[in-house]
Amino acid sequence: MSSRQERIQTLYEISLSIGPKETLEETAEEALSGYLQKLNCSVGGIYRRREDGSYEPTATVPAEPTASDLLSTAANSLNAIDTAGGIDEALPMTGATASDEHYYLFELPEFGVLVLGKRTGELDAVTRSALASLNEKLAEACNSKLVERQLRKEHNRFGAVFDAIPEPVANTVVEDGTERIVACNKPFKRTFGTPDRTPGEDLLGELTPTEAAVGDRRPTAGEGQNRYVTTETTCPTREGSGEFLFHSVPVETDHEAEYIQLYVDISDQKERERELERYERLVENLPIGVYQTTPGADGEFRLVNQGLVDILEADSKAFFDDHTVSDIYVDPAEREAFSDQLLAEGEVDSVELQLETAAGNPMWAEISGIASEERDETVFELALQDITARKERDQQLSVLNRVLRHNLRNAINVIEGNAALLDEEVEREDLQACVNGIEQRVKNLSQLSEKAVTVRSLFDQGREINTACDVRTLLETVADEFEDRHPEASFTVDDFEPMYVRADVRLKMALTELVSNAIVHNDQSTPTVTVTAGPSETGRAGEWVDIEITDNGPGIPPHERKTIESGDETPLQHGTGLGLWLVYWAISLLGGDITIDEAEAGTRITLTLPRVTVDAADEASGDDNDEMLVGDVGTELTEDE
Amino acid sequence: MEATYSTATGTDLRETLAAVADSDGVNGLLLLATPSVDVASDEFAATLAGLSVPAFGGVFPAVIHEGTAKESGLLAVGLPATPDVTVLPNASDPDADFADTLDPELPANGYETAFVFVDAYAEAVPTVIESLFRTYGVGMNFIGGGAGQLDDDRGPSVFTNDGVFADAAVIAAVEQPIEIGVQHGWETLDGPFRVTGSEGPTVTELDGSPAFSVYQEVIESQTETSVTRENFFEVAQSHPFGITRLDAEQIVRDPFAVEGDALTCFGSVPEGEFVNILTGDDESLIAAAAAAYESAVGDDTDGSLYAFDCISRSLYLDDDFDRELAAVDTGDRPVVGALTIGEIANDGSGHLDYYNKTAVIGAVRNE
Repeated sequence: MSSRQERIQTLYEISLSIGPKETLEETAEEALSGYLQKLNCSVGGIYRRREDGSYEPTATVPAEPTASDLLSTAANSLNAIDTAGGIDEALPMTGATASDEHYYLFELPEFGVLVLGKRTGELDAVTRSALASLNEKLAEACNSKLVERQLRKEHNRFGAVFDAIPEPVANTVVEDGTERIVACNKPFKRTFGTPDRTPGEDLLGELTPTEAAVGDRRPTAGEGQNRYVTTETTCPTREGSGEFLFHSVPVETDHEAEYIQLYVDISDQKERERELERYERLVENLPIGVYQTTPGADGEFRLVNQGLVDILEADSKAFFDDHTVSDIYVDPAEREAFSDQLLAEGEVDSVELQLETAAGNPMWAEISGIASEERDETVFELALQDITARKERDQQLSVLNRVLRHNLRNAINVIEGNAALLDEEVEREDLQACVNGIEQRVKNLSQLSEKAVTVRSLFDQGREINTACDVRTLLETVADEFEDRHPEASFTVDDFEPMYVRADVRLKMALTELVSNAIVHNDQSTPTVTVTAGPSETGRAGEWVDIEITDNGPGIPPHERKTIESGDETPLQHGTGLGLWLVYWAISLLGGDITIDEAEAGTRITLTLPRVTVDAADEASGDDNDEMLVGDVGTELTEDE
Repeated sequence: MEATYSTATGTDLRETLAAVADSDGVNGLLLLATPSVDVASDEFAATLAGLSVPAFGGVFPAVIHEGTAKESGLLAVGLPATPDVTVLPNASDPDADFADTLDPELPANGYETAFVFVDAYAEAVPTVIESLFRTYGVGMNFIGGGAGQLDDDRGPSVFTNDGVFADAAVIAAVEQPIEIGVQHGWETLDGPFRVTGSEGPTVTELDGSPAFSVYQEVIESQTETSVTRENFFEVAQSHPFGITRLDAEQIVRDPFAVEGDALTCFGSVPEGEFVNILTGDDESLIAAAAAAYESAVGDDTDGSLYAFDCISRSLYLDDDFDRELAAVDTGDRPVVGALTIGEIANDGSGHLDYYNKTAVIGAVRNE
């Protein structure tokens, strides 16, 4: 039997071994060692009770519980504890093995069970009873480490999340009115470096009242309301500065004003928004209509720009909220046809339609657009150009062309016939001269009429050119034709490397006109015309070709030359005919340019045209047609040329 | 038990040990050396490395052979089964994870007993002992003690075939069951005193007063002995400290030095513990040794014995130490052992501890 004093001493000494250590396991091991040493026990264990009522060892002596029959028996008895009346009623519990070794189970409140085993001797009842307070202390120490471990797990989990967030995150506290960073993740350091203070300090100053005392939180909208702060701000970064969507979330602590600050980098987003705004302004101010509609016979307007408002003479964009797309069509059936075409083809280009403005005025529009998918539905994105004026000019040109071709030609024919009769009957020389003058003027008028028709044909073919032209062959052909018609003139085609230009029959028309002018308007006894070609000297040599026509004539009158070079004709500055205009329009429609220079003895006109490669031209010509454009035939080019 | 005592050195010693190692039935060697053996020499290391069986041991102030304590020479004990030898280095490192080096499966693999020799001057001896107990509990019996020389606290003190080590412990598990008897015979003179100041093995305060003053006052008031710093070593041999355990003999802590008011012991004296100041006489100590013998031997009639007795008991008993040896060496069976600087043992029923001034007897069973 132990003396009271020895027991008190022993309990005191055991208590010295009980207390939180670095880990739960160390806490349990140290305490268990104290119990075993001071109570002279052979084996022991501290077992944690799981939620399902089973037990797991936290610390045992020996380390492998199954190595000791005594401890194994004691541990097995844990599962046999009758908890019907509560664990407090069941413990402490004693037991003995077949070899008369004794074990003791003690409750560790809210934690588990302490197991002690003695090979010899027993723990007396008084000592067992006296251990209760120590066991409570042990349970408290173990529980505190357990909670600490769980908190550490939570902390580690939080830390993992903290570091996994790709955006800068900082944990801050407000001390002495200053918010400082206590932790931050790697993206934060990469973005802001290691600033002394929270980025966006100005913003935080606004959020935190100047009179805020230590520990005061930022003002919030009110109790029970969202206490988050979310706003956009500009902060200095390692790269300069950036725009951020700033979230500040208060952390629930008792004493400190603590926050989690999240900085979402919206610099790119803001730049895109600004770019979008620029585009919106651009689209809004375009002189054409840009709009979005739904498909269908009627169709709804979704978006319209100011250009469409202006073109359709609407008061405002609100007009389109109350009208369907078909309302602006003169013939609503055309709207349905247009919608069907766009849905079928996916895109349309330069479709001419007759519309009606909000004021009821008819107009012509040229519409291009695409069908696209937006939010799981098909929409039309369209561009509309007012071509009413062009259509009216086309009408005027058609009438004028008819007048030139038909009415004027008929009148010329009548005048020619009558002039021929007069020529036969009039014998007086002075009158004969008058008749000859009439015949010459009528002839000129006839040529002018024919040339006007030719000019008209230039434009009929538009700007689309899918043919290549062998420059040498073309120049030789033109020279041959003129040598036959004008044997008095001298034609020379210089030698130059084979080359091809993107052109069609209009190039030959232009050359023919130029060579004809060089001969017809030449005042020399032997008109001389030299044609040659080579890589452009004015443009990029590999991509452009210069075709030069040089004569020994008197030169082009300055006012005509100026008119052609400026591309504009005024009542005070105009040419005498259509010849040079024919050349100008033909070359312009072919995408080229014309330059007029004074030569040593005459004029040199340079036509600059886009070059195509020999391979492209060969491919276009096909195996059976090595000849390129000769006269009025071009070789078709493939699309990628 | 095949035990050979030799005072040979150099080549002779090598040949002697080789002969024991090569003997029939010898599968391991327990080597108990005295300070006369130059264990720090390369030659000794080479001798160990050249042995044909696993060997382990330590240097002790004296070895016990044929009923006498010999302060020179070396005792080689042939073991019938191959020992499993483990070295724990850095025995002064309190943060060392000694348990990580220990093989917890030894008891399950049939090892019944472990010889433990640890550098007596290592600062983490309690940690080494605690690691052994936490790992094995009472799964094995332990017997051994602190190695080293009384006048050299830095030299190498334990060894195996792999070399000679300072600041280390050697654990050699054997399959032989050895029953342990542990007794010291010291009785409480006064106490308990709460250790209110200590650092490792050094006690600075008892009950809030300078340790030396308390010690001095107790001894001088209860005995006729005058205590001074100069005679402290002699007085302390008669009056060690005792750390109490419930229902068990106190654990003796042997103070051996005084510096100012601080008393330094072999083995730690944790702050907060209660200690008694003990006293003893020749008869009680010799009786304790006899009791340890009886406890170990029990009913066994022919098993040989291992005796690890504290060097301070020898110093205290002086000429009467022969009587203590006679109490454990009754002549009916071989007795080998050493005078150690602190003893390590458990009796198979309780906590493994590091003792001072204690007689530890191990009786081999099933030999």
